[in-house]
Amino acid sequence: MKDFFRNNGGLILIIAVLLGCIIALTSALMGGFAHPLSNLVGIITTPVRNGINAVVEWTEARYEAAFRQSELEADYEQLKKDYAELEKELREAQSDAEENERLRNLLGLKEKRRELQFEAATVTAVVADNWDSALTISKGSDFGLEQGDCVVDEYGNLVGLIDQVGTNWSTVMTIVDSDLEMGGLIARTDTAGILEGSFELMGQGKLRLSYLPENSEFMAGDQVLTSGLSGLYPSDLVVGYIEEVRTDPSGMTRYAVVVPEADLSDLQQVFVITNFDIVE
Amino acid sequence: MTRHDFLVKWGVYALALLPVWFLECYILARYPFYGIKPMLLPLAVVAVAVLEGASGGAGFGLGVGLLGTAVYYHTGGGFVVLMTLLGLGTGLLTQYVLRQDFLGCLLCSALSLGILDVTRILPRLLYQRESLEAMLRVAGGEILWSLVFTPLVYAIFLWVFRRVPKRTHF
Repeated sequence: MKDFFRNNGGLILIIAVLLGCIIALTSALMGGFAHPLSNLVGIITTPVRNGINAVVEWTEARYEAAFRQSELEADYEQLKKDYAELEKELREAQSDAEENERLRNLLGLKEKRRELQFEAATVTAVVADNWDSALTISKGSDFGLEQGDCVVDEYGNLVGLIDQVGTNWSTVMTIVDSDLEMGGLIARTDTAGILEGSFELMGQGKLRLSYLPENSEFMAGDQVLTSGLSGLYPSDLVVGYIEEVRTDPSGMTRYAVVVPEADLSDLQQVFVITNFDIVE
Repeated sequence: MTRHDFLVKWGVYALALLPVWFLECYILARYPFYGIKPMLLPLAVVAVAVLEGASGGAGFGLGVGLLGTAVYYHTGGGFVVLMTLLGLGTGLLTQYVLRQDFLGCLLCSALSLGILDVTRILPRLLYQRESLEAMLRVAGGEILWSLVFTPLVYAIFLWVFRRVPKRTHF
């Protein structure tokens, strides 16, 4: 211990405590905006993250292509040559088709939901943490993103909410995160409840719909939407469908386990709703 | 130890931290094992503290704490203090109680990850309606899966430790 203090250990401890206090204080004062240290690192690392993301996706694509190539070679002996060539062409076109489809879907969504304003963003990283479910995206306050903005996939299915905004990056808390709480609605019966993440369900990629009226009717397969009752979020965004109905450990109330409609494990591009009309 | 030696040594340690951070945040976070992602940055603090002792461990912990605060989600200033204390504690423990070898590193890693998860579980228990069982399941998986990477992280920093001049060791 003496050695520790002789080697400036006490000074290190004091610096650590002071920095901790400064970071905690600035985090509290900044509200939803990332604190300066986090924001600076985010600004610097966003291009790196984009690059790494591109490299990883390229590697995955090559690996998948190589894997499918060997499959095709095996098939080649059994199938006609023309068929194999068509398969190859199809594979090459697949990437373009997927992007086209995403854009067409978004166009359709924009037509259907004219009251919503979208900002497209790329998912650059998945948060390396078992205690939260979050994604980092490539746009931030530069593009008008704000804390609490809803994030959807190209079909308009809810992915999550913007939780922390940097200058050119943002963190999206997904709908299965245990800190999430927002109004939900069962589409078939118009029954309102509270959508909330839960630790028990987060690992399975699910969430729950709680605080449902005592005599409400709901069953597996019912579609769940955002209620928009608070005015904080748009209404009628598809959250998912009810998988099962469970009773609370207290035995007093029931809640529904909801499976998200958006595929949270395989998101490449998302759309942030930056503005919407409040429905009274 | 001259100022030059000091800067070179910790510069090399910082460089050695980069592949660990890259592996954790960009590779292992994308491909969770049964839904669990390992935590490698605390293992790096423990490995350096085992090799360099309390002062070196605390200093490196301070640096890693700052990096973690910037890149991890939902970490406040407490993470800086915690990482510094983990570096200090590991250094003292392996200097005076355990041994400064891989086994000491493994034990201290398990202990540090446990402490880290306790600091995550307690606030959630106090402020949220979360089940302790579900959180212990996450913590247990996280600790075990992270410990699998201890040999790799320890080997990286041992490699650095053996290559920096002996006079720079604390």
